[in-house]
Amino acid sequence: MCDTSHPINIKRATVACVFIFSACCAFADDAQVQLAEELHGHGWIVFSARAQNETWDLFLMRPDGSNLRNISNTADLEEAAPRFSPEGDRLLYRRLAKGTKIDHDKWGFQGEAVIARADGSDAIALGGAGEYPWASWSPDGTAIVCLMPKAIQVVDIATKKLVREMPRKGIYQQLFWSPDGKWLTGTGNHQGESWTVVRMNAETGDTNAVHVFQSCTPDWHPDSQRVIYSSRPGGQKANGGYGWTQLWQANGDGSEAKLLFGEDGVHIYGGALSPDSKFIIFTKSHMDGGGSESSGAPMCIMRATDAPIIQGESPDLRALHPNTKDGPVLELVPGWEPSWTLHEIVNQP
Amino acid sequence: MISRRILAGAVFMTFLAGCSKGAESTPDPKLTSLGTVEVTAKLIDVGGEFPPNDLYDYAHVMQYEVLEIHRGQVSGTTIFVGHYNPRKARTGVGDERSGEVGGNVTQFVAGDVHRMALAEPIDEQFMGGIVNKLPESEKGPIYWAIWTNRANQ
Repeated sequence: MCDTSHPINIKRATVACVFIFSACCAFADDAQVQLAEELHGHGWIVFSARAQNETWDLFLMRPDGSNLRNISNTADLEEAAPRFSPEGDRLLYRRLAKGTKIDHDKWGFQGEAVIARADGSDAIALGGAGEYPWASWSPDGTAIVCLMPKAIQVVDIATKKLVREMPRKGIYQQLFWSPDGKWLTGTGNHQGESWTVVRMNAETGDTNAVHVFQSCTPDWHPDSQRVIYSSRPGGQKANGGYGWTQLWQANGDGSEAKLLFGEDGVHIYGGALSPDSKFIIFTKSHMDGGGSESSGAPMCIMRATDAPIIQGESPDLRALHPNTKDGPVLELVPGWEPSWTLHEIVNQP
Repeated sequence: MISRRILAGAVFMTFLAGCSKGAESTPDPKLTSLGTVEVTAKLIDVGGEFPPNDLYDYAHVMQYEVLEIHRGQVSGTTIFVGHYNPRKARTGVGDERSGEVGGNVTQFVAGDVHRMALAEPIDEQFMGGIVNKLPESEKGPIYWAIWTNRANQ
Protein backbone atom coordinates (compact mmCIF):
# COMPACT_ATOMS: atom_id res chain seq x y z
CA MET A 1 0.00 0.00 0.00
CA CYS A 2 1.36 3.42 -0.91
CA ASP A 3 2.00 5.89 1.85
CA THR A 4 -0.71 8.47 1.37
CA SER A 5 0.71 11.03 3.75
CA HIS A 6 3.33 12.40 1.37
CA PRO A 7 2.98 14.60 -1.69
CA ILE A 8 3.87 13.34 -5.12
CA ASN A 9 7.54 13.56 -5.90
CA ILE A 10 7.73 12.89 -9.62
CA LYS A 11 11.32 11.58 -9.61
CA ARG A 12 10.63 9.32 -6.64
CA ALA A 13 7.34 8.14 -8.15
CA THR A 14 9.08 7.32 -11.42
CA VAL A 15 11.85 5.39 -9.67
CA ALA A 16 9.27 3.56 -7.56
CA CYS A 17 7.27 2.76 -10.67
CA VAL A 18 10.34 1.33 -12.41
CA PHE A 19 11.31 -0.56 -9.26
CA ILE A 20 7.85 -2.04 -8.82
CA PHE A 21 7.71 -2.90 -12.49
CA SER A 22 11.14 -4.57 -12.31
CA ALA A 23 10.21 -6.38 -9.11
CA CYS A 24 7.04 -7.60 -10.74
CA CYS A 25 9.11 -8.91 -13.64
CA ALA A 26 11.70 -10.48 -11.36
CA PHE A 27 9.28 -12.14 -9.01
CA ALA A 28 6.83 -13.23 -11.61
CA ASP A 29 3.65 -11.41 -10.78
CA ASP A 30 2.95 -11.99 -14.41
CA ALA A 31 -0.66 -10.95 -14.25
CA GLN A 32 0.17 -7.51 -12.89
CA VAL A 33 2.99 -7.05 -15.39
CA GLN A 34 0.68 -8.01 -18.20
CA LEU A 35 -1.93 -5.57 -16.96
CA ALA A 36 0.66 -2.79 -16.85
CA GLU A 37 1.74 -3.60 -20.39
CA GLU A 38 -1.85 -3.45 -21.59
CA LEU A 39 -2.27 -0.08 -19.94
CA HIS A 40 0.85 1.60 -21.24
CA GLY A 41 -0.14 3.78 -24.15
CA HIS A 42 -3.81 3.33 -23.37
CA GLY A 43 -4.52 7.04 -23.21
CA TRP A 44 -3.96 9.34 -20.27
CA ILE A 45 -5.16 9.75 -16.72
CA VAL A 46 -5.59 13.21 -15.23
CA PHE A 47 -6.03 13.55 -11.48
CA SER A 48 -5.50 15.91 -8.60
CA ALA A 49 -2.85 15.21 -5.99
CA ARG A 50 -0.83 17.01 -3.39
CA ALA A 51 2.37 18.21 -5.01
CA GLN A 52 5.82 18.89 -3.60
CA ASN A 53 4.80 22.54 -3.29
CA GLU A 54 2.29 21.20 -0.69
CA THR A 55 -0.76 22.42 -2.60
CA TRP A 56 -3.12 20.33 -4.70
CA ASP A 57 -2.08 20.34 -8.35
CA LEU A 58 -3.20 18.56 -11.52
CA PHE A 59 -1.17 15.64 -12.85
CA LEU A 60 -1.13 13.67 -16.08
CA MET A 61 0.23 10.17 -16.45
CA ARG A 62 -0.09 7.05 -18.53
CA PRO A 63 -2.49 4.53 -16.96
CA ASP A 64 0.46 2.28 -16.06
CA GLY A 65 1.89 5.08 -13.92
CA SER A 66 4.56 6.21 -16.37
CA ASN A 67 5.10 9.68 -17.86
CA LEU A 68 3.88 11.38 -14.68
CA ARG A 69 3.93 15.16 -14.89
CA ASN A 70 2.55 18.06 -12.91
CA ILE A 71 0.54 20.14 -15.38
CA SER A 72 -0.58 22.98 -13.13
CA ASN A 73 2.27 23.35 -10.61
CA THR A 74 0.78 26.32 -8.82
CA ALA A 75 2.17 26.87 -5.35
CA ASP A 76 -0.33 29.64 -4.66
CA LEU A 77 -3.52 27.79 -5.62
CA GLU A 78 -5.27 24.47 -5.02
CA GLU A 79 -6.61 22.60 -8.06
CA ALA A 80 -8.92 19.62 -7.81
CA ALA A 81 -11.25 17.19 -9.54
CA PRO A 82 -10.16 17.55 -13.18
CA ARG A 83 -12.28 15.89 -15.80
CA PHE A 84 -11.53 15.46 -19.48
CA SER A 85 -14.00 16.88 -21.98
CA PRO A 86 -15.76 14.27 -24.14
CA GLU A 87 -13.28 15.05 -26.94
CA GLY A 88 -10.39 14.74 -24.53
CA ASP A 89 -8.92 18.09 -25.52
CA ARG A 90 -9.90 20.13 -22.46
CA LEU A 91 -10.17 19.86 -18.70
CA LEU A 92 -12.86 21.13 -16.33
CA TYR A 93 -11.88 21.42 -12.68
CA ARG A 94 -12.20 23.49 -9.49
CA ARG A 95 -9.56 26.02 -8.47
CA LEU A 96 -9.46 27.12 -4.86
CA ALA A 97 -7.54 29.63 -2.78
CA LYS A 98 -4.32 28.31 -1.33
CA GLY A 99 -4.86 26.52 1.95
CA THR A 100 -8.50 25.72 1.34
CA LYS A 101 -9.29 22.26 2.63
CA ILE A 102 -10.90 20.34 -0.20
CA ASP A 103 -14.03 18.82 1.24
CA HIS A 104 -14.75 15.43 -0.31
CA ASP A 105 -18.44 16.07 0.19
CA LYS A 106 -18.68 19.74 -0.83
CA TRP A 107 -15.93 20.24 -3.39
CA GLY A 108 -18.42 21.03 -6.14
CA PHE A 109 -19.44 24.14 -4.21
CA GLN A 110 -15.86 25.20 -3.55
CA GLY A 111 -13.68 27.55 -5.55
CA GLU A 112 -14.17 28.48 -9.16
CA ALA A 113 -14.87 26.30 -12.18
CA VAL A 114 -11.96 26.40 -14.61
CA ILE A 115 -11.51 25.16 -18.17
CA ALA A 116 -8.04 24.51 -19.58
CA ARG A 117 -6.42 22.60 -22.40
CA ALA A 118 -5.82 18.95 -21.67
CA ASP A 119 -2.17 19.65 -20.93
CA GLY A 120 -3.18 22.23 -18.30
CA SER A 121 -2.34 25.30 -20.37
CA ASP A 122 -4.64 28.28 -21.03
CA ALA A 123 -6.60 27.87 -17.82
CA ILE A 124 -9.58 30.24 -17.70
CA ALA A 125 -12.05 30.59 -14.85
CA LEU A 126 -15.68 30.42 -15.93
CA GLY A 127 -16.81 32.54 -12.99
CA GLY A 128 -16.13 33.47 -9.41
CA ALA A 129 -15.81 31.33 -6.32
CA GLY A 130 -18.91 29.25 -5.70
CA GLU A 131 -20.35 29.83 -9.17
CA TYR A 132 -21.35 26.96 -11.42
CA PRO A 133 -21.59 24.44 -8.57
CA TRP A 134 -20.90 20.81 -9.49
CA ALA A 135 -20.23 21.83 -13.10
CA SER A 136 -19.62 18.93 -15.48
CA TRP A 137 -19.46 18.52 -19.25
CA SER A 138 -22.35 18.23 -21.67
CA PRO A 139 -22.03 15.26 -24.04
CA ASP A 140 -20.85 17.48 -26.90
CA GLY A 141 -18.50 19.53 -24.75
CA THR A 142 -20.09 22.87 -25.63
CA ALA A 143 -21.90 23.37 -22.34
CA ILE A 144 -21.70 22.60 -18.65
CA VAL A 145 -24.46 21.26 -16.44
CA CYS A 146 -24.67 22.64 -12.91
CA LEU A 147 -26.66 22.02 -9.76
CA MET A 148 -28.39 25.12 -8.44
CA PRO A 149 -30.69 25.11 -5.39
CA LYS A 150 -33.87 25.36 -7.44
CA ALA A 151 -32.85 23.68 -10.67
CA ILE A 152 -30.37 21.89 -12.87
CA GLN A 153 -28.95 24.42 -15.30
CA VAL A 154 -27.25 23.93 -18.63
CA VAL A 155 -24.90 26.81 -19.46
CA ASP A 156 -23.27 27.39 -22.83
CA ILE A 157 -19.52 27.66 -22.30
CA ALA A 158 -18.81 30.16 -25.07
CA THR A 159 -21.54 32.65 -24.19
CA LYS A 160 -22.13 31.70 -20.54
CA LYS A 161 -25.83 31.92 -21.29
CA LEU A 162 -28.36 29.69 -19.60
CA VAL A 163 -29.67 27.44 -22.35
CA ARG A 164 -31.84 25.08 -20.35
CA GLU A 165 -33.24 24.58 -16.88
CA MET A 166 -35.00 21.62 -15.30
CA PRO A 167 -36.12 20.64 -11.79
CA ARG A 168 -33.36 19.28 -9.61
CA LYS A 169 -35.56 16.51 -8.17
CA GLY A 170 -33.51 16.14 -5.00
CA ILE A 171 -30.13 15.60 -6.68
CA TYR A 172 -27.57 17.45 -4.60
CA GLN A 173 -24.11 16.55 -5.86
CA GLN A 174 -21.97 14.72 -8.41
CA LEU A 175 -24.12 15.36 -11.47
CA PHE A 176 -22.97 13.81 -14.75
CA TRP A 177 -24.53 13.68 -18.20
CA SER A 178 -24.51 10.39 -20.11
CA PRO A 179 -22.39 10.20 -23.29
CA ASP A 180 -25.52 9.68 -25.41
CA GLY A 181 -27.16 12.77 -23.91
CA LYS A 182 -30.29 10.96 -22.80
CA TRP A 183 -29.67 10.72 -19.07
CA LEU A 184 -28.20 12.44 -16.05
CA THR A 185 -26.98 10.73 -12.93
CA GLY A 186 -26.25 12.21 -9.54
CA THR A 187 -26.45 11.69 -5.81
CA GLY A 188 -29.60 12.84 -4.10
CA ASN A 189 -32.57 12.51 -1.81
CA HIS A 190 -35.04 10.18 -3.45
CA GLN A 191 -38.32 9.03 -1.95
CA GLY A 192 -37.22 9.94 1.56
CA GLU A 193 -33.79 8.37 1.38
CA SER A 194 -30.63 10.44 1.16
CA TRP A 195 -27.43 9.16 -0.48
CA THR A 196 -29.28 7.56 -3.33
CA VAL A 197 -27.71 7.32 -6.78
CA VAL A 198 -30.39 8.66 -9.08
CA ARG A 199 -30.88 8.58 -12.85
CA MET A 200 -32.83 11.38 -14.51
CA ASN A 201 -34.30 11.34 -18.00
CA ALA A 202 -32.72 14.42 -19.57
CA GLU A 203 -35.80 15.05 -21.71
CA THR A 204 -38.67 14.50 -19.26
CA GLY A 205 -36.94 15.03 -15.92
CA ASP A 206 -38.34 11.73 -14.61
CA THR A 207 -36.09 10.13 -12.04
CA ASN A 208 -35.51 6.65 -10.74
CA ALA A 209 -33.21 5.21 -8.12
CA VAL A 210 -30.17 3.38 -9.43
CA HIS A 211 -29.08 2.42 -5.93
CA VAL A 212 -30.70 3.34 -2.62
CA PHE A 213 -28.86 3.80 0.68
CA GLN A 214 -25.30 4.97 1.28
CA SER A 215 -24.31 5.26 -2.34
CA CYS A 216 -22.65 8.11 -4.18
CA THR A 217 -20.02 9.26 -6.70
CA PRO A 218 -21.84 7.85 -9.73
CA ASP A 219 -20.36 7.97 -13.20
CA TRP A 220 -21.51 6.72 -16.56
CA HIS A 221 -20.46 3.57 -18.26
CA PRO A 222 -19.48 4.61 -21.81
CA ASP A 223 -22.53 2.73 -23.12
CA SER A 224 -24.82 5.21 -21.27
CA GLN A 225 -26.82 2.24 -20.02
CA ARG A 226 -24.94 1.40 -16.85
CA VAL A 227 -23.78 3.46 -13.88
CA ILE A 228 -20.68 2.84 -11.76
CA TYR A 229 -20.87 4.08 -8.16
CA SER A 230 -19.60 3.67 -4.61
CA SER A 231 -21.78 1.90 -2.08
CA ARG A 232 -21.40 1.06 1.56
CA PRO A 233 -23.98 -1.68 2.08
CA GLY A 234 -25.73 -1.87 5.42
CA GLY A 235 -25.37 -4.77 7.80
CA GLN A 236 -21.57 -4.87 7.71
CA LYS A 237 -20.02 -5.86 11.03
CA ALA A 238 -16.55 -4.67 10.11
CA ASN A 239 -15.13 -1.26 10.99
CA GLY A 240 -17.23 -1.06 14.14
CA GLY A 241 -20.41 -1.61 12.17
CA TYR A 242 -19.68 1.36 9.89
CA GLY A 243 -18.53 -0.97 7.15
CA TRP A 244 -16.37 -0.37 4.09
CA THR A 245 -17.29 1.36 0.86
CA GLN A 246 -17.20 -0.78 -2.27
CA LEU A 247 -17.36 -0.15 -6.01
CA TRP A 248 -20.55 -1.28 -7.74
CA GLN A 249 -22.27 -1.11 -11.10
CA ALA A 250 -25.93 -1.32 -12.07
CA ASN A 251 -28.13 -0.74 -15.06
CA GLY A 252 -29.64 2.73 -15.21
CA ASP A 253 -32.97 1.35 -14.02
CA GLY A 254 -31.27 -0.11 -10.96
CA SER A 255 -31.37 -3.69 -12.12
CA GLU A 256 -28.46 -6.13 -12.17
CA ALA A 257 -26.47 -4.42 -9.44
CA LYS A 258 -23.04 -6.02 -9.31
CA LEU A 259 -19.96 -5.69 -7.12
CA LEU A 260 -16.90 -4.57 -9.09
CA PHE A 261 -14.26 -4.23 -6.38
CA GLY A 262 -14.19 -4.49 -2.62
CA GLU A 263 -11.66 -4.85 0.13
CA ASP A 264 -12.29 -4.78 3.84
CA GLY A 265 -10.07 -2.12 5.34
CA VAL A 266 -10.42 0.47 2.60
CA HIS A 267 -13.11 2.71 1.13
CA ILE A 268 -13.43 2.75 -2.65
CA TYR A 269 -14.28 6.02 -4.40
CA GLY A 270 -13.66 7.85 -7.64
CA GLY A 271 -14.75 4.92 -9.80
CA ALA A 272 -14.68 5.45 -13.56
CA LEU A 273 -14.22 3.40 -16.69
CA SER A 274 -11.76 3.89 -19.49
CA PRO A 275 -13.57 5.31 -22.53
CA ASP A 276 -13.43 1.91 -24.25
CA SER A 277 -14.92 0.20 -21.16
CA LYS A 278 -11.97 -2.15 -20.83
CA PHE A 279 -10.56 -0.87 -17.53
CA ILE A 280 -11.84 0.49 -14.24
CA ILE A 281 -10.01 3.10 -12.18
CA PHE A 282 -10.74 3.94 -8.55
CA THR A 283 -9.09 5.08 -5.34
CA LYS A 284 -8.83 3.15 -2.11
CA SER A 285 -8.53 4.99 1.15
CA HIS A 286 -8.33 3.83 4.75
CA MET A 287 -10.33 6.92 5.72
CA ASP A 288 -13.85 7.34 4.43
CA GLY A 289 -14.24 10.11 1.88
CA GLY A 290 -11.40 9.44 -0.54
CA GLY A 291 -8.69 11.48 1.14
CA SER A 292 -9.24 14.93 -0.34
CA GLU A 293 -8.82 16.47 3.10
CA SER A 294 -5.29 15.03 3.32
CA SER A 295 -3.27 13.79 0.34
CA GLY A 296 -5.64 11.58 -1.61
CA ALA A 297 -5.39 7.81 -1.77
CA PRO A 298 -3.70 5.27 -4.02
CA MET A 299 -5.32 5.02 -7.43
CA CYS A 300 -5.89 1.52 -8.75
CA ILE A 301 -6.75 0.05 -12.15
CA MET A 302 -8.27 -3.32 -12.97
CA ARG A 303 -9.72 -4.92 -16.07
CA ALA A 304 -13.50 -4.70 -16.35
CA THR A 305 -13.58 -8.33 -17.39
CA ASP A 306 -11.89 -9.35 -14.13
CA ALA A 307 -14.74 -7.96 -12.02
CA PRO A 308 -15.71 -8.70 -9.36
CA ILE A 309 -12.40 -8.57 -7.53
CA ILE A 310 -12.01 -8.81 -3.78
CA GLN A 311 -8.62 -8.14 -2.24
CA GLY A 312 -7.24 -8.52 1.26
CA GLU A 313 -8.55 -11.11 3.68
CA SER A 314 -12.05 -9.58 3.60
CA PRO A 315 -13.74 -12.65 5.11
CA ASP A 316 -17.21 -11.11 5.39
CA LEU A 317 -17.11 -9.73 1.88
CA ARG A 318 -15.85 -13.00 0.42
CA ALA A 319 -18.63 -14.85 2.20
CA LEU A 320 -21.19 -12.60 0.53
CA HIS A 321 -19.54 -12.79 -2.89
CA PRO A 322 -17.96 -16.26 -3.23
CA ASN A 323 -17.19 -16.18 -6.95
CA THR A 324 -14.65 -13.42 -7.26
CA LYS A 325 -11.07 -12.94 -8.41
CA ASP A 326 -8.15 -11.67 -6.35
CA GLY A 327 -6.75 -9.47 -9.10
CA PRO A 328 -4.78 -8.30 -10.86
CA VAL A 329 -5.02 -4.70 -9.70
CA LEU A 330 -2.35 -2.16 -10.55
CA GLU A 331 -1.76 0.27 -7.71
CA LEU A 332 -0.58 3.75 -8.66
CA VAL A 333 0.43 6.97 -6.92
CA PRO A 334 -1.99 8.70 -4.52
CA GLY A 335 -4.54 10.92 -6.19
CA TRP A 336 -8.14 11.98 -6.11
CA GLU A 337 -10.97 12.05 -8.68
CA PRO A 338 -9.13 10.61 -11.71
CA SER A 339 -10.45 10.98 -15.24
CA TRP A 340 -9.42 9.01 -18.33
CA THR A 341 -9.13 9.83 -22.03
CA LEU A 342 -7.93 7.79 -24.99
CA HIS A 343 -7.13 10.91 -26.95
CA GLU A 344 -3.51 11.75 -27.39
CA ILE A 345 -2.45 14.86 -25.53
CA VAL A 346 -0.22 17.17 -27.48
CA ASN A 347 2.54 19.38 -26.04
CA GLN A 348 4.04 16.46 -24.23
CA PRO A 349 7.73 16.95 -23.38
CA MET B 1 -44.11 62.57 50.27
CA ILE B 2 -41.94 60.74 47.78
CA SER B 3 -38.25 61.38 48.20
CA ARG B 4 -36.16 62.54 45.25
CA ARG B 5 -34.05 59.36 45.50
CA ILE B 6 -37.09 57.08 45.19
CA LEU B 7 -38.43 59.16 42.33
CA ALA B 8 -35.12 59.00 40.47
CA GLY B 9 -35.02 55.23 40.99
CA ALA B 10 -38.51 54.83 39.61
CA VAL B 11 -37.65 56.91 36.56
CA PHE B 12 -34.50 54.81 35.99
CA MET B 13 -36.45 51.53 36.30
CA THR B 14 -39.05 52.84 33.87
CA PHE B 15 -36.21 53.73 31.47
CA LEU B 16 -34.73 50.23 31.78
CA ALA B 17 -38.13 48.64 31.23
CA GLY B 18 -38.57 50.80 28.16
CA CYS B 19 -35.22 49.73 26.82
CA SER B 20 -36.03 46.08 27.43
CA LYS B 21 -39.40 46.38 25.72
CA GLY B 22 -37.73 48.21 22.86
CA ALA B 23 -35.25 45.34 22.36
CA GLU B 24 -38.07 42.81 22.29
CA SER B 25 -40.03 44.74 19.75
CA THR B 26 -37.04 44.97 17.41
CA PRO B 27 -36.49 41.40 16.23
CA ASP B 28 -33.34 40.25 14.54
CA PRO B 29 -33.38 41.72 11.00
CA LYS B 30 -32.30 38.32 9.68
CA LEU B 31 -35.58 36.92 10.97
CA THR B 32 -37.64 39.61 9.34
CA SER B 33 -35.88 39.58 5.98
CA LEU B 34 -34.81 36.04 5.09
CA GLY B 35 -37.07 33.42 3.56
CA THR B 36 -40.80 33.78 3.05
CA VAL B 37 -42.20 32.79 6.43
CA GLU B 38 -41.44 33.90 9.99
CA VAL B 39 -42.94 32.08 12.94
CA THR B 40 -42.56 31.52 16.63
CA ALA B 41 -42.96 27.81 17.27
CA LYS B 42 -42.45 25.21 19.96
CA LEU B 43 -40.11 22.33 19.17
CA ILE B 44 -42.19 19.20 19.69
CA ASP B 45 -40.02 16.42 18.29
CA VAL B 46 -36.36 16.64 17.27
CA GLY B 47 -36.85 13.65 14.97
CA GLY B 48 -34.50 11.16 16.56
CA GLU B 49 -30.78 11.11 17.10
CA PHE B 50 -28.84 13.57 15.02
CA PRO B 51 -26.53 11.95 12.47
CA PRO B 52 -22.76 12.24 12.98
CA ASN B 53 -21.22 15.30 11.35
CA ASP B 54 -17.57 14.36 11.26
CA LEU B 55 -17.60 13.43 7.56
CA TYR B 56 -21.00 14.43 6.23
CA ASP B 57 -23.38 17.25 7.05
CA TYR B 58 -27.11 16.73 6.83
CA ALA B 59 -30.34 18.62 7.26
CA HIS B 60 -32.45 17.01 9.98
CA VAL B 61 -36.22 17.33 10.01
CA MET B 62 -37.96 18.34 13.27
CA GLN B 63 -41.59 18.88 14.24
CA TYR B 64 -42.87 22.21 15.61
CA GLU B 65 -46.15 23.59 16.91
CA VAL B 66 -46.72 27.07 15.55
CA LEU B 67 -47.49 29.62 18.27
CA GLU B 68 -47.46 32.81 16.21
CA ILE B 69 -47.10 33.71 12.55
CA HIS B 70 -45.19 36.95 12.05
CA ARG B 71 -44.83 36.88 8.29
CA GLY B 72 -46.11 34.79 5.40
CA GLN B 73 -48.58 31.95 5.64
CA VAL B 74 -48.52 28.54 7.26
CA SER B 75 -51.26 25.98 6.94
CA GLY B 76 -52.14 24.31 10.23
CA THR B 77 -50.39 24.49 13.56
CA THR B 78 -47.95 21.64 13.00
CA ILE B 79 -45.01 22.25 10.71
CA PHE B 80 -41.89 20.30 9.84
CA VAL B 81 -38.58 22.10 9.61
CA GLY B 82 -35.20 20.94 8.35
CA HIS B 83 -32.26 22.31 10.32
CA TYR B 84 -28.77 22.11 8.85
CA ASN B 85 -26.15 20.23 10.85
CA PRO B 86 -28.13 20.31 14.14
CA ARG B 87 -25.21 19.14 16.23
CA LYS B 88 -23.73 22.61 15.76
CA ALA B 89 -24.79 25.92 17.29
CA ARG B 90 -26.52 28.10 14.71
CA THR B 91 -23.78 30.72 14.93
CA GLY B 92 -21.31 29.79 12.25
CA VAL B 93 -23.14 26.68 11.06
CA GLY B 94 -23.45 27.96 7.50
CA ASP B 95 -21.04 26.77 4.82
CA GLU B 96 -20.71 26.37 1.05
CA ARG B 97 -23.42 23.76 0.98
CA SER B 98 -26.04 25.41 3.17
CA GLY B 99 -25.74 29.02 2.06
CA GLU B 100 -26.80 31.57 4.65
CA VAL B 101 -28.12 29.89 7.78
CA GLY B 102 -27.64 30.96 11.38
CA GLY B 103 -29.21 32.30 14.54
CA ASN B 104 -28.51 32.12 18.25
CA VAL B 105 -29.87 28.68 19.15
CA THR B 106 -27.04 26.57 20.51
CA GLN B 107 -28.81 23.22 20.71
CA PHE B 108 -32.14 21.70 19.79
CA VAL B 109 -34.19 20.50 22.75
CA ALA B 110 -37.83 19.44 22.63
CA GLY B 111 -39.98 22.00 24.45
CA ASP B 112 -37.86 25.00 23.49
CA VAL B 113 -39.48 27.85 21.60
CA HIS B 114 -37.79 29.24 18.51
CA ARG B 115 -38.41 32.22 16.29
CA MET B 116 -37.48 31.23 12.77
CA ALA B 117 -37.17 32.57 9.26
CA LEU B 118 -38.19 29.76 6.89
CA ALA B 119 -38.50 28.95 3.22
CA GLU B 120 -40.15 26.02 1.48
CA PRO B 121 -39.94 23.48 0.06
CA ILE B 122 -36.65 22.32 1.50
CA ASP B 123 -35.79 20.49 -1.74
CA GLU B 124 -35.55 23.81 -3.54
CA GLN B 125 -33.49 25.48 -0.85
CA PHE B 126 -30.91 22.97 0.32
CA MET B 127 -28.56 20.82 -1.74
CA GLY B 128 -27.60 18.06 0.64
CA GLY B 129 -28.72 14.94 2.41
CA ILE B 130 -31.98 15.26 4.32
CA VAL B 131 -32.57 12.96 7.28
CA ASN B 132 -36.27 12.66 8.00
CA LYS B 133 -37.50 10.18 10.57
CA LEU B 134 -40.93 11.78 10.92
CA PRO B 135 -43.30 10.00 8.54
CA GLU B 136 -46.11 12.45 9.34
CA SER B 137 -44.13 15.10 7.48
CA GLU B 138 -45.11 13.51 4.17
CA LYS B 139 -48.46 15.31 4.35
CA GLY B 140 -47.15 18.82 4.18
CA PRO B 141 -44.21 20.85 2.97
CA ILE B 142 -40.94 20.62 4.85
CA TYR B 143 -39.55 24.06 5.59
CA TRP B 144 -35.88 24.99 5.44
CA ALA B 145 -34.69 26.84 8.53
CA ILE B 146 -32.64 29.83 7.45
CA TRP B 147 -32.43 31.69 10.74
CA THR B 148 -33.27 30.24 14.16
CA ASN B 149 -33.28 32.29 17.35
CA ARG B 150 -34.45 31.53 20.84
CA ALA B 151 -37.84 33.15 21.34
CA ASN B 152 -38.59 35.43 24.24
CA GLN B 153 -41.11 33.56 26.35
